[in-house]
Amino acid sequence: MADNTLLEIKHLKKYFRVPAGQNHAVDDVSFSIQRGETLGVVGESGCGKSTLGRTIIRLLEATDGQVLLNGQDITHVSGHKLREAREKLQIVFQDPYSSLNPRLRIESTIMEPLQHSGRFKNKAEMREEANRLMELVGIDERLRQSYPHELDGGRRQRVGIARALALNPDFIVCDEPVSALDVSIQAQVLNLLMDLQEKMGMAYMFVTHDLSVVRHISNNILVMYLGQAVEKAPTEELFEKSLHPYTKALLSAIPSVDIHRPMKRIELKGEITSPINPKPGCRFAARCPYASPQCEAPQTLEEVLPGHFVQCCRCKEINSL
Amino acid sequence: MENFLEIRDLVVEYTQNRDTVHAVNSVSLSLGKGKTLGLVGETGAGKTTIAKSIMRILPDVGARIVSGEIWLDGENLLEKTEDEMYDIRGSKAAMIFQDPMTALNPLMTVGDQISEVLLLHNVKDKKEAMEKAGDMLEMVGIPRERYVEYPHQFSGGMKQRVVIAMALACDPELLLADEPTTALDVTIQAQVLDMIRKLRDKLNTSMILITHDLGVVAETCDSVAVIYAGQVVESGTKEDLFDHPAHPYTKGLFGSLPSMAVGEKRLHSIKGLPPDPTNLPTGCAFWPRCPYATDACKGDSAGGAPGISGREITPGHFVRCLKEV
Repeated sequence: MADNTLLEIKHLKKYFRVPAGQNHAVDDVSFSIQRGETLGVVGESGCGKSTLGRTIIRLLEATDGQVLLNGQDITHVSGHKLREAREKLQIVFQDPYSSLNPRLRIESTIMEPLQHSGRFKNKAEMREEANRLMELVGIDERLRQSYPHELDGGRRQRVGIARALALNPDFIVCDEPVSALDVSIQAQVLNLLMDLQEKMGMAYMFVTHDLSVVRHISNNILVMYLGQAVEKAPTEELFEKSLHPYTKALLSAIPSVDIHRPMKRIELKGEITSPINPKPGCRFAARCPYASPQCEAPQTLEEVLPGHFVQCCRCKEINSL
Repeated sequence: MENFLEIRDLVVEYTQNRDTVHAVNSVSLSLGKGKTLGLVGETGAGKTTIAKSIMRILPDVGARIVSGEIWLDGENLLEKTEDEMYDIRGSKAAMIFQDPMTALNPLMTVGDQISEVLLLHNVKDKKEAMEKAGDMLEMVGIPRERYVEYPHQFSGGMKQRVVIAMALACDPELLLADEPTTALDVTIQAQVLDMIRKLRDKLNTSMILITHDLGVVAETCDSVAVIYAGQVVESGTKEDLFDHPAHPYTKGLFGSLPSMAVGEKRLHSIKGLPPDPTNLPTGCAFWPRCPYATDACKGDSAGGAPGISGREITPGHFVRCLKEV
């Protein structure tokens, strides 16, 4: 089990300084990702899920905590070591319209990481590799010399995926990769991501607010609320038997396509509170139907059932475990 | 005219460079008083163009309503002058836009933006307008003290509430909601949809809800029209569409939904891409992507194939498809 662990995240924190104080975007989050696993990270906008992904792959510097890649601490490595780590850690961004350089042709976009890797002797080899990658993600060869603006969203996202795959990474952060796409195209891209994982065996961290998408693609799901991990469980268990009051509300809010069996909705009062200088204690308490004075104490993520972690002091009581 | 809103054979084109974009191709829709119709389809299918045609807010340059009729409460909107439309917009028919971040004026307090609508229509006195605007804010769940705040001081969900308050300020009889919750988080989406439903029922507003989220349709609409390449490919009651989808495109949409594929590894995606609206296929617009297509569906080079104009498979359930699939 231990040697199968790809990434270990320990007490990771990322704070941003803003005029009003410290924005606790990611606040003491710990979990691990196995090789070839897909971890879905869900939560509402502003809960820190993208920041978490970006901090893990060192696009952002952690304020505190550690990220271990294959047992090695990469949180503060630099130079050659950082380059090596980055080859293993890639990202596909949400918006395929702004994440591609508008002045680079598709082929050049995909060749860029290849040039930096130093693995290829000459342009011809790189071009060949770029063509292989394009074929892998299903982009027609005739589009090689096209510019991003000539492509539709689905194809652009395929280019983003090919670019992320170029250096044969072990881990890809997929930051809302399909939310800008139409349903029929979304399904094509999701299928592609799953096929690629089967072929190449990398792990995904799938950041999204679309719960039906994560349910479909993930092995495990991490639910975040205001910078903290509030629940982590295997996918089906989370959907069948969520334990945290926030997860319950979140799942019940998904509009159901089943017109004969509408979901019973747990209504949340109010809006998400600010992550700037938060008070200690449960951050969900202000909207939680079960809030009580004991929720004002700092909360910890505990393993309540095997493999099922929850951060809620009243969890056992609420779920009568 | 039995229906409150009736659209007949609407054709809208855009001119782009030298190409003609066939955005809406002979769409007919109807909507009863107090009912909600869902318009479903992908980006570029023409959903928003239909709504903008009703409001007559298509861009002056480049867009053209070629033919058709839009009857609202017994009057053909396409025969109205711009001045007459000015009175209809906001008071009789109102529209909620997709992106609350850009639909509000950043330099004006939210309260003043709501009073502005009122002052343009039925309220003459500034004080009265401010009072009513405060009421509207409260109705959408925002404390009236926030009248004096600017849009940037609100979260996305709150901004969308302001936009809804603006749209409902003059009690419109027809509300066009263009992806009103797409930019919002699920829990906030649930709150906003719930609010829209309550207000609609309270004010007996007729509504067209444009969305690509079939879950939202299932929870909010009475009837549904599926739009593909500027045509209604299937329409009927919500039950017709969700229980017995008949058009291959509708079936494909349902198959593409991850939530419908629990336990299945692959999604049944629709192959290919939506057609280029400057160069639509002849015959059925969906045939290049359709798994059931035969030569009959491809029509003739002259344009339409006879029979692909839609047929009624059960009362009120129309399908634009030659096949029984």
